Amino acid sequence: MPTDTRRLTGPESSQSPYNFAPATKLDLSNLESRPDGRKAHQLRPLFLRTDVISQARGSSYIEMNETKAICAVYGPREVLRREDFSLKGQLTCEFKFTTFSCKKRRQHQQDSQEKDLSVHVLEALEPAVCLHKYPKSQINIFITVLQHDGSAQEEQAILKSTVKPAEASVGCVTVAFLPSLSQVSAISSDGDLSFESLNKTMQACVTDCQRLYPVLEHALVKHQQDTEAANR
Amino acid sequence: MASFTVVKKEDLDAELEKGPKCVLRGQTSDLGCLTRQDGSVSLSQGDTTSIAVVYGPAEVRINKEKIDRATVEVIYRPKIGLPRPNHRKQERIMRNTLEAAIAANLHPRSSISVVIQETEDLGSNLSCSINSACLALLDAAVSMNFMVASVTVAIKENSDMILDPTKRDETEAKSVLTYVFDSVNYQILTIVSCGKFSRSEHKKGLTLAREAAKSVFQFYRESMSKKLLMSE
Amino acid sequence: MAEQFKMAQPKEYFKKFLENDIRPDNRELGEFRPTVLNIGCVSTAEGSALVKLGNTTVMCGVKAEVAQPDADKPKDGFLVPNVELSALCSPSFRPGPPGEQAQVLSQNMADLLQTSKCINLEDLCICPGKLVWVLHIDLVCLDYDGNVMDACTLALISALKNTSLPAVTVDEDTGDIKTDPTSLSNLPVSCCPVSTSFIIFDHNVLLVDPTNEEERLATGAVTVVVEGENLVSIYKPGGSALTDDQIETCIDRAVERSREASKLIKETLYSIDR
Repeated sequence: MPTDTRRLTGPESSQSPYNFAPATKLDLSNLESRPDGRKAHQLRPLFLRTDVISQARGSSYIEMNETKAICAVYGPREVLRREDFSLKGQLTCEFKFTTFSCKKRRQHQQDSQEKDLSVHVLEALEPAVCLHKYPKSQINIFITVLQHDGSAQEEQAILKSTVKPAEASVGCVTVAFLPSLSQVSAISSDGDLSFESLNKTMQACVTDCQRLYPVLEHALVKHQQDTEAANR
Repeated sequence: MASFTVVKKEDLDAELEKGPKCVLRGQTSDLGCLTRQDGSVSLSQGDTTSIAVVYGPAEVRINKEKIDRATVEVIYRPKIGLPRPNHRKQERIMRNTLEAAIAANLHPRSSISVVIQETEDLGSNLSCSINSACLALLDAAVSMNFMVASVTVAIKENSDMILDPTKRDETEAKSVLTYVFDSVNYQILTIVSCGKFSRSEHKKGLTLAREAAKSVFQFYRESMSKKLLMSE
Repeated sequence: MAEQFKMAQPKEYFKKFLENDIRPDNRELGEFRPTVLNIGCVSTAEGSALVKLGNTTVMCGVKAEVAQPDADKPKDGFLVPNVELSALCSPSFRPGPPGEQAQVLSQNMADLLQTSKCINLEDLCICPGKLVWVLHIDLVCLDYDGNVMDACTLALISALKNTSLPAVTVDEDTGDIKTDPTSLSNLPVSCCPVSTSFIIFDHNVLLVDPTNEEERLATGAVTVVVEGENLVSIYKPGGSALTDDQIETCIDRAVERSREASKLIKETLYSIDR
């Protein structure tokens, strides 16, 4: 493996001390109460704030118990490598876990899971953003997960004055839902699922998304009111 | 290579017996040692040697262009391997130092690049690099606001000062300070330190280095007049 | 009107404020922005801290791993600091490998750890010659509004003080490694270096804790790291020349700041211990 000359590097090989610890197994047999005391269909409590990064055009911070993520949106800005002229703007997304966000240390370079998640988020958001309003330019979304807990992946980019998409996940089905259009913009599922249970889970996800939407709305409205009050 | 190091060590021991050193090691320079460049020099301070070359003012890459002054680039090449973050730090120190010295506003939209090749690091390497860069700029006849001279001081555990330390002095010292002065008011352009020290030690080192810097400027003058006499 | 003046003549705009010894954000020349410290905010890391210096936000996470020591230093562990200036924190950074600034900051952090000796590398030894700790100290900038160096230093030291390592034992005979995640012990941190950064405006005015805008107008920069009354580092990479007295003023201010910051760290650590 070529060494990274742009970063400080430690010894060639090192491993997590928890590799040598006795393994603990998660008990999922009892669906009525999960290890953190939630019911099977219960979402984690949500904390949301917008405008946390002063340099970004739009930004948000989300915390769901032990999962914490921060997201910034930049643009519209010039496309650097102008390959072909397009009337439609470009949307890019970079999803990154910090190296310390998981139990096992992650690498600095984007790995396949992160690339995969970037594409998922991009696909979920693309229908929501009015890209035709930004010809010849690009909008960049950067998401960094500060702490990661469990299999859930929940992100939202709050784009001012565009449709706000929410993404919620339960188990291994992730659904992105556009509440104002009542349409699902992205869905991904992983693992072995029967049609019936997939349908059922999707229904549950959509209901949860609809419940999340007012929370997002409230956070945005509150931020708007705060800035207006500050300007006055 | 191995035998070479052994000889050097004996030299160092012999030198060590001469007692405390409060003078700079002998300096020799070979101006215009290379022919394809606009300016070049091979400078030795004691056994520490580096080669510096200057290209410019020349055409600049469009993304680095500055409309009101020349872009100064410094590239540092270590003796072995690829540049690492510690070399980047050195590059930045040298670039900022030389940017102040070069009259960059006389050459808008152009580039002045300095390449420094480390050939032998036997103590006070940063000083040697900066001094060689300054001599190369003089050799290339680049317009400058002032000249710069760099001097390294090592502070021993018992607060004794060693000017222009050798590699061994550096490893034995509790801290090593490198100063750069301008040739007009002998004010401080750059300070880089490594190791803990007290305020009084800093003051003492500063006075010592400032005195020594004057002899470096004298050396520049001699080197340049020798070169001019030769070309006549 | 003020906005346009600032846009067209940023330097003149600044000078107008400095004439009255005040900065556009209502600070005095030697005043730091409000500092917020949150220690132990990431439970997946062995130690963590979040520092806010005005808008500038840096998060530090320490992740511990085990590795074989170098043959010539069988007792020494490894400290691997890295600063990430991701594209998330400012529009001037692009995604990709770390740029020059991030590399220089990483190197500064490494130099700081090495010269201040706040962590004795032998404390990271588990079994001499066989197993030592590697502390990957990753600093992520979340919001870039100037003076990332000071924010990074504060986050680094706070995170290290917060670091606790699980008990790891090596079986003498078989060489088997065993980890007991339930018994944690704190990492000894012997001192608390604090860095203070200044920019030089218009060749002779010194401004402490610069914002991003101020950094862009700077003609030079100075960073002084002190630990108690001792100097750990003076770092002035070129730029405008300064007199000896000006350097002394910087050191004075840095000593003062070090007291404030050490107190802040102590108080924050105390409040989470309770």
